[in-house]
Amino acid sequence: MTYLSTNWSLYRGKLATELGLKLFLALVFVGLTGCGSGESNVSAGNKNGTLYWGNGTEPQTLDPQIATGVPESHIISAVMEGLVLKNRKTLEPIPGVAESWDISADGTVYTFKLRDNARWSNGDTHTAHDYAWSWWRALQPALGNLYAYMLFPIKNARQYYEGDISDFSEVGVKALDDRTLQVTLSFPTPYFLQLLDHYSTYPVHKETIEKFGDADQRGTRWTYEGNLVGNGPFQLVDWKINRRIVVEGNPHYWDANNVSLNKIVFIPIENIVTEERMFRAKQLHVTSSLPADKISVYRAAKDPELRIAPYLGTYYYRLNVRKPQLKDPRVRRALAMSVDRQRLVDNITKGGQIPAYAMTPPGTMGYYPESDLTFDPEGAKRLLAEAGYPNGEGFPSTEILYNTNEGHRKVAVALQDMWKKHLNIDIRLLNQEWKVYLDTESAGQYEISRAGWIGDYVDPNNFLDLFLCNGGNNRTGWCNEEYDRLILDVAPSMSSLKERLEVFQKAENMLLDDMPIIPIYTYTSVQLVNSAVKNLDPNIMNSPAYKDIYLQADK
Amino acid sequence: MNNSSSETTVMPDDQGTSLWQDAWIKLSKNRLALFGLAVLVTLILVSLLTPLIAPYGYEEQNLDMGATAPSLQHWLGTDIFGRDMLTRIMYGGRVSLMVGFIATAVALVIGILWGATAGFFGGRLDAVMMRIVDVLYALPFMIFIILLMVVFGRNILLLFLAIGAVEWLTMARIVRSQVMSLRNQEFVEAAHSLGLSQWTIIRRHIIPNTLGPVIVYTTLTIPSVMLLEAFLSFLGLGIQPPESSWGLLINYGVETMEEFPWLLIFPGIALSLTLFALNFLGDGLRDALDPRTSKD
Repeated sequence: MTYLSTNWSLYRGKLATELGLKLFLALVFVGLTGCGSGESNVSAGNKNGTLYWGNGTEPQTLDPQIATGVPESHIISAVMEGLVLKNRKTLEPIPGVAESWDISADGTVYTFKLRDNARWSNGDTHTAHDYAWSWWRALQPALGNLYAYMLFPIKNARQYYEGDISDFSEVGVKALDDRTLQVTLSFPTPYFLQLLDHYSTYPVHKETIEKFGDADQRGTRWTYEGNLVGNGPFQLVDWKINRRIVVEGNPHYWDANNVSLNKIVFIPIENIVTEERMFRAKQLHVTSSLPADKISVYRAAKDPELRIAPYLGTYYYRLNVRKPQLKDPRVRRALAMSVDRQRLVDNITKGGQIPAYAMTPPGTMGYYPESDLTFDPEGAKRLLAEAGYPNGEGFPSTEILYNTNEGHRKVAVALQDMWKKHLNIDIRLLNQEWKVYLDTESAGQYEISRAGWIGDYVDPNNFLDLFLCNGGNNRTGWCNEEYDRLILDVAPSMSSLKERLEVFQKAENMLLDDMPIIPIYTYTSVQLVNSAVKNLDPNIMNSPAYKDIYLQADK
Repeated sequence: MNNSSSETTVMPDDQGTSLWQDAWIKLSKNRLALFGLAVLVTLILVSLLTPLIAPYGYEEQNLDMGATAPSLQHWLGTDIFGRDMLTRIMYGGRVSLMVGFIATAVALVIGILWGATAGFFGGRLDAVMMRIVDVLYALPFMIFIILLMVVFGRNILLLFLAIGAVEWLTMARIVRSQVMSLRNQEFVEAAHSLGLSQWTIIRRHIIPNTLGPVIVYTTLTIPSVMLLEAFLSFLGLGIQPPESSWGLLINYGVETMEEFPWLLIFPGIALSLTLFALNFLGDGLRDALDPRTSKD
């Protein structure tokens, strides 16, 4: 999951006069592009194997069991690795730290055989016990791991996390010896191997964590430059806040011989307009995104550096059902029905996004959600009137919260007008910086908030289990026990895929009837990739395999 | 009997002209300044009348007409939401001019009173007052404004006052230094010896003499305040969509200046025109109001 943040603010704490300066610089920049004095990052990088990666925003943390964002996931996947990896095109699980695995006939017992040459980046041997300890840590409630539920398919993991069991040895994770890890699940989980390539299940280095604090302590210094010990193809060598994060080849990595890049420089540029300019000035190999208004320009020029690919993610709005005006499902439904998604994606987002009328993106594991939600302003008006606000009269002024970002602002401004036009209600906008926004949202101090969910694994479960009563990423206050039962107990017990998908459809219908969220569109990933970057194949999770990437300038 | 009337007609020069009359005469000879004044008056009139004369509603969207170039229907084009740019600029001007004038007025009043008092009385009072200014200088003003916004909520009038309340410090220093240099001049001593009260001396003799630098500084403050508002709005502390101001329009325009240049150019022209007008007028006013320039 992972929130897509791409969050930026134009100014970071400087005077307003910067506006003029920026304008000037922008002009100079445009003038200079193409002239190129001195060697650009890209051509230098192509020679010495350094990839310059536009990473959107400054990561909140590099602790895999605390992090929750896409920018974080990029860096973590460079410096750490799970039991399995993904095929960079098809996303099928392939051996990672585990060189092989056996699955019992009933699909509940996984036995992983770890590589003999698996090492930590400081040279320590890397054993099956590291996984048992890391997952024990991930399930400590005090750590506040929003992804703890990723481990819930494991037998008794949920009971342990919720405090029903206090003895971790009852949880289905056992290191049989240094090289063998046995995992017992409560029920067959078709997507379990995929979970093992999610950063929240990555192993962490016990000695380092304990050196800088308690195992379940948040925000210790263990992830800092010079401290972090990982097991991935790269290791952290430099971290300048808001400037760059540099990782360098890890000589102890089991597959070090096949890692081509020497270095990756992650550059957090929150302003995607600036990012695009840097790309054109050959300061970046890859951007995190592309301003909507530029897409048509690149498209018209048939620029091969533009990459648009389907993306397993849903852009949606949360409705805080605890707020009095949003308590009534009819109000929530009226809001959802008066959003003209097609116009929005055609004119505002412009990246080929697909209007979404359900939470799960269509085609996830062959699941195409059915939905009776349509754009129906008349019906919406009637519903709002039934709920006691005829023609919007008496509807309290309501606020949309979004994290500071040009793209999110545009969507919010468009929705503000749609709701005004179709429902005659007044909506205000409030933007906050990414971390503040996350806190405000978690604290439930909002009415409507923007959200995006990017799949962590390819299964409808990943989208629907967000809205469990205790889901750390639910945040809407919506809670339905029957829904919880369907997702947690009924769906996993289904033996065939078809039956399982039927259960998901039933759950999805409950969600859409109650509308604690407004689905808006299904993402596409839009980015610029320099032609020298090879083996960065588009996939629906937009997840790069850094160890495979190599740089080769066109002749 | 008609003595007095004949005297005035015979010797009109002896009557003398007041500072303000004199200033007006000098100003009216300065074409650039008059041009500036005319532009400003026009802009203010347009702003006042905007709700009556604007061709469209400022929040009226038409997504199918997004980002169209200037045409007969939309003289200055439309933004990406299909909102009329002319209307947006007119409404934006209301906010920008208001914040410029109100915030600067607040800064002026506080700054002049504070600086003149400190400079005129000097000694311990001066030391205490200026140390207060120093302390306020040391406070990061962004934090101050953000705190104000958080405590009192986001309110546009409060924003104006908050900006004014952080902009007066430099004004106070300028006025103080002027007053210090004026305080010991002969005409002030003369006023003292005539028995005028301190307050009258500050009001009648000191403040008018400091007007030159104050006016120049004011014409610089107004634009910087307008940009500050754009900056705060961008951070989510100032005005919020769908309302807008010139600063914000420019801010958004910069991002798409290559694709839709009119989104940047027109608000840019509006802001630059205002700043030019203010500078010309400020220059003219300084020359006109400075009692030390010869009365030829």
